[in-house]
Amino acid sequence: MNWLKKLSLVAVASAVLLSTTISGSAWAKDDLKGKITVNGSTALLPLTLQAAKEFQKLHPKVKIAASGKGSVTGPQAVKKGIAQIGACDWDASTDVPGFKAFDGQVANKVAVIPFATIVNKSVSVDNLTTEQLKGIFAGKITNWKEVGGDDEDIVVITRSFGSGTRVNYQAKALGGGDIVKKEKNYKEVGSSGDMKTAVATTPNAIGYIDLTYISGKDIKAVKHNGVEASVENVINGKYKIWSYGYYMTKGQPTGATKAFIEYVQSKKFQEGSLKKLKFIPISAMK
Amino acid sequence: MNLPAQHTVSHAGAASKPQRDPHGLTAGNKRARLMDRLFKNYFLFSILALCLVLAMVVFFIGRTAILTFGEVSLAEFFFSLNWTPEEDQFGAALFIINTLSLTALTMVIAVPISVGMAILMAEISPNWLKKIIRPLLDLLVGIPSIVYGYLGLTVLLPFLRELSGEGLGDGLLAAALVLTIMILPTISRISDDAISAVPKKYRDASYALGSTRLQTIFKAVLPAAGRGIVAAIILGMTRAIGETMAVVMVIGNTPQLAKSLFAPASVLTSNIVMQISNVEFESTWNYSLHMMAFLLLLISFALILLIRYVGRKREV
Repeated sequence: MNWLKKLSLVAVASAVLLSTTISGSAWAKDDLKGKITVNGSTALLPLTLQAAKEFQKLHPKVKIAASGKGSVTGPQAVKKGIAQIGACDWDASTDVPGFKAFDGQVANKVAVIPFATIVNKSVSVDNLTTEQLKGIFAGKITNWKEVGGDDEDIVVITRSFGSGTRVNYQAKALGGGDIVKKEKNYKEVGSSGDMKTAVATTPNAIGYIDLTYISGKDIKAVKHNGVEASVENVINGKYKIWSYGYYMTKGQPTGATKAFIEYVQSKKFQEGSLKKLKFIPISAMK
Repeated sequence: MNLPAQHTVSHAGAASKPQRDPHGLTAGNKRARLMDRLFKNYFLFSILALCLVLAMVVFFIGRTAILTFGEVSLAEFFFSLNWTPEEDQFGAALFIINTLSLTALTMVIAVPISVGMAILMAEISPNWLKKIIRPLLDLLVGIPSIVYGYLGLTVLLPFLRELSGEGLGDGLLAAALVLTIMILPTISRISDDAISAVPKKYRDASYALGSTRLQTIFKAVLPAAGRGIVAAIILGMTRAIGETMAVVMVIGNTPQLAKSLFAPASVLTSNIVMQISNVEFESTWNYSLHMMAFLLLLISFALILLIRYVGRKREV
């Protein structure tokens, strides 16, 4: 049984060592402290994580825990008191199709998220109007030749109901039009990553995604009403399919939460890390 | 074959230890008894902890699930085909029917192939081939389902698209094929064990009566191994019903009744995983997703009980 003793000794020693490192690591001089939990949108998660990393360097006594799920879980968690900040792709203090307003919550703009219509590389069409998109997603236009392409069936790929990307796309690109399920050539996917894979691997497919996800040869962004989906066109106001990303808080934010949101909204972060992550600074919009 | 051998070796090792050390015999005995008691309690605790977790799963899922019927009638949930949560339509019948038809389709494809493979392994193939196939199948059992799903998405779907001329290829057939590949090793390995366990005298008697090999297999060996094979099939079925990731990737995830093999559809598991992250905590929508999970739980419990029942009968 000698090995057992040795093993337990090692276990105890490492446990002691571990606990001292953990408790010893939180050293700080400034008095801003607290715990911030951020829940919600996966689209905003990279931004939140980067901001949390930088913010904790400045204020080591503040602990920030961030996680991502569906957009609606953000304001939900704030309502329940699980999180101080709920990241959401739409302004959850107002009604949107399918989701009621969350009373008493304040929407803090933190970034601009552009979206784009994407098609598989096999599609020859490179421009679609709002009316054409409406027809395609409502299932009224089913062949690419009806919108100036080849004689091929249109395969519609869409996010499942409740997705923040879908809420915004319906509102901005389809002019509030519906996305109607069909018997064939219709598929729902659960995340932006799945959307990219599905459109990339399915010939004649059409879908929609955050602009930051577009890369590679298998998918291409389609112009909307003749305007190319690009950061410049969002900023100069020509391209309409974008939305603000919001941090929802219960009432006006206070303490560490307020400081964190202010940091994310600060010029230093907006012009630096946020731009590097391919979001658009809120100050760029008029 | 290996396991019992290892067992005897370790037993012999444990028994010979006190003899080698005659001075500490009583002390050793005491310590051994203490260790025995310690381990007995440890194992008892593990089992109780597991039971507690199981009870909690049933309790918490059930508690949320039951709230569904505060706002949706039993009849609507179980018989309506209209699942449009955004318009307060919570008919889960289409998912239940799709789940059943997907499982049935999978079993129709998988059972003949896997039982055939089991017969090949246990009765027909030469020893060297057995030594290759068995470890290979064991390896296949351990492959994560997401890997199968990914292969389905990138290899199977383009192939089905070519074959059918459909634009998408997603649907029950694609899901059933992926599931078949997933549960094939499970069914065939367990059936293989069941067939191998049939005593040699059955075969000898059959041959002595003048049967051919085919007759021996189908008239003597398979009936004798029948219950084991049924248990294997049910086990495969449990896996097929509960499988989520592989199915989500190839079924199309559209909440509607599958009217053809290539129509995009959705089953209980895939619908839960697609929607659970996008619903509000306290909503009928969330409750009904929990109810669907609870249903899955009940189905798998029923199947496991069925295996126990079938298994016990075999022993008698």
